[in-house]
Amino acid sequence: MFQYVLRRLLIAVPMLLGAMSIVFVAMRVLPGDPCVAMMGDQATSGALADCTRNLGLDRPLAVQYVDYLWRSVQFDFGKSFRQGYPVSDYIARMFPHTFVLVMASAVVAALVGIPIGIVSALKRRSPLIDYPLRIIALLGLSMPVFWLGILLLIVFSLHLDLFPLIGGGDLDGVIAMIGSGEAFTYPQDFLRAVGDVLHHLTLPALALGFTLAATVSRLSRSAMLEVISQDYIRTARAKGQRERLVVYKHALRNMMVPLLTIIGIFVAIALTGTVLTETVFTRPGLGKMLVDAIGARDYPLAQGAITVFTMIIIVVNLVVDLMYAVVDPRITFR
Amino acid sequence: MAVVRRADPVDLAGLRAAEEPRSTTRGRLRRWLPISIGLALAMTMIVVAAAAPLIAPLSPSAQFSDAVLKGPGAIDRHLLGTDEFGRDLLSRIIWGARVSLEVGLVSVAFAFALGVPLGIVAGVIGGRMEMLIMRSSDMLMAFPTLLLALIIVTALGGSLANEMLAIGVALTPNFVRLARSLALTIREQDYILAARALGGGQLRVMARHVFPNALYALVVVATLYIATAIRTEASLSFLGLGIPPPTPSWGNILSEGRQYIKCCPWLTTFSGLAIMAAVLAFNLMGDALRDLLDPRLKGE
Repeated sequence: MFQYVLRRLLIAVPMLLGAMSIVFVAMRVLPGDPCVAMMGDQATSGALADCTRNLGLDRPLAVQYVDYLWRSVQFDFGKSFRQGYPVSDYIARMFPHTFVLVMASAVVAALVGIPIGIVSALKRRSPLIDYPLRIIALLGLSMPVFWLGILLLIVFSLHLDLFPLIGGGDLDGVIAMIGSGEAFTYPQDFLRAVGDVLHHLTLPALALGFTLAATVSRLSRSAMLEVISQDYIRTARAKGQRERLVVYKHALRNMMVPLLTIIGIFVAIALTGTVLTETVFTRPGLGKMLVDAIGARDYPLAQGAITVFTMIIIVVNLVVDLMYAVVDPRITFR
Repeated sequence: MAVVRRADPVDLAGLRAAEEPRSTTRGRLRRWLPISIGLALAMTMIVVAAAAPLIAPLSPSAQFSDAVLKGPGAIDRHLLGTDEFGRDLLSRIIWGARVSLEVGLVSVAFAFALGVPLGIVAGVIGGRMEMLIMRSSDMLMAFPTLLLALIIVTALGGSLANEMLAIGVALTPNFVRLARSLALTIREQDYILAARALGGGQLRVMARHVFPNALYALVVVATLYIATAIRTEASLSFLGLGIPPPTPSWGNILSEGRQYIKCCPWLTTFSGLAIMAAVLAFNLMGDALRDLLDPRLKGE
């Protein structure tokens, strides 16, 4: 077990390093001068030289690269070109918004996707159950999240006026109340603030959750089909076990093991989805921050956001691999 | 027997039986319906894209000041309505099919041409070469497709060629991985041994034996990635990082229409529908092709 964890950790380090190098190459080496982008074509050469010096872009590339890696490891991504605040502060402020969106949509995706996948697998090739469910999953897979988001906005925000059109609620306030203990001294205010956050979260979570549910249902369908064809299921049936118990006791539990690996893919898709979802719903978060930063040519902010996204994905994949080893004892001996 | 009957809904014998009746009408329908729908949708899209100048009722950039933000059918000449500049939405969507299809096909062809040779070399030759290719591909794999495409487009600037390049590069690691895993299986086959015994060099073995045997599985997956490429293109355009207006692409029509969802929901509805139909077409085709050609299902 220890050896496996160590080996897996050692693989993650060069991957992270490589991914960060790609970000660096894309942002610094490819054509396009950040200072020209920021100050415009009309900027004087003196102003441009000042800008280049301030950003440290006049140093040799190798020095910039090592500096970037060293600072990134410490979560120091420099200061935002536009606002002048440290990028890590922005990220820290935006992260909770993206985190709650990913979590809420994961709940929607799991609640919708896993049962659909299981039923679809158990009723395989049933024209009334499997086929319609698979068609729905395929439609969900083909529907861009930003379009579903807009449709939900048109119906539930504009026509029915049930949910807010933009914003993410006062999540910072909620976090501050928990931190200061006010959540317990003023529970009514706290609950109101939480309710407001959830109110803002509902439509984005549904939009992202439904598109993710399509992937989850397809993956859980194939996971279930895989499990159901195993020898131990046949043994359970051969000993006269009732079908319901075969499904609940033997199949479902074992299905969770292959399903676990989905989490890695899931987080990657969900994070990409947040970029689009947060933009559609004009919600604060890492995804919207990234798009805004790119639009404003705020390179440190964009670079920071991309690095954090990549770090999250690599770390989640690492954790999933480790969890996999814990759940499936055979892996530890490899 | 009673036990087997109890397990009826999911037992393997039943499944096997269900796989077999290829000659029955239902069996044939089940096999060919999804692929036919997918193919029909994809063909429609290809024809529409190719014949855009002939089919589109009006020029996609012509502005009609008397028809700004008119709904579908409000004016006879604009079947799907008009946008904020009085441009015909139907014509823009028809011309937008070109962009989507071009990006979808070219970027997948690029990823295929770059990724498959690398994957086959990694699988057949192995050793340090494999290590180098696979580790580089793993690094790119750490980025979700849209994120990697977004990084590249940001660095290069938004244009049709850059978008194709960005999505092509972002999809490449998927082809490297698949081609390698196929090559690993194929290289163990007897016919590869025979080819080597006859004096076939590495290059000949890879080009004449490994590649043709991996081809159909690669094509199936390529079909699915066309869907991914079309969706990624739409997403980039939606984020304002794709093809700059006034060139119509489904993503930028939808993005511009977003400002008018209150008064004119048709702008976002029809462009989104077009994206969904295109992605669905290639997903259906890829899925159905995989079901038809998947060796594991064949074996059953």
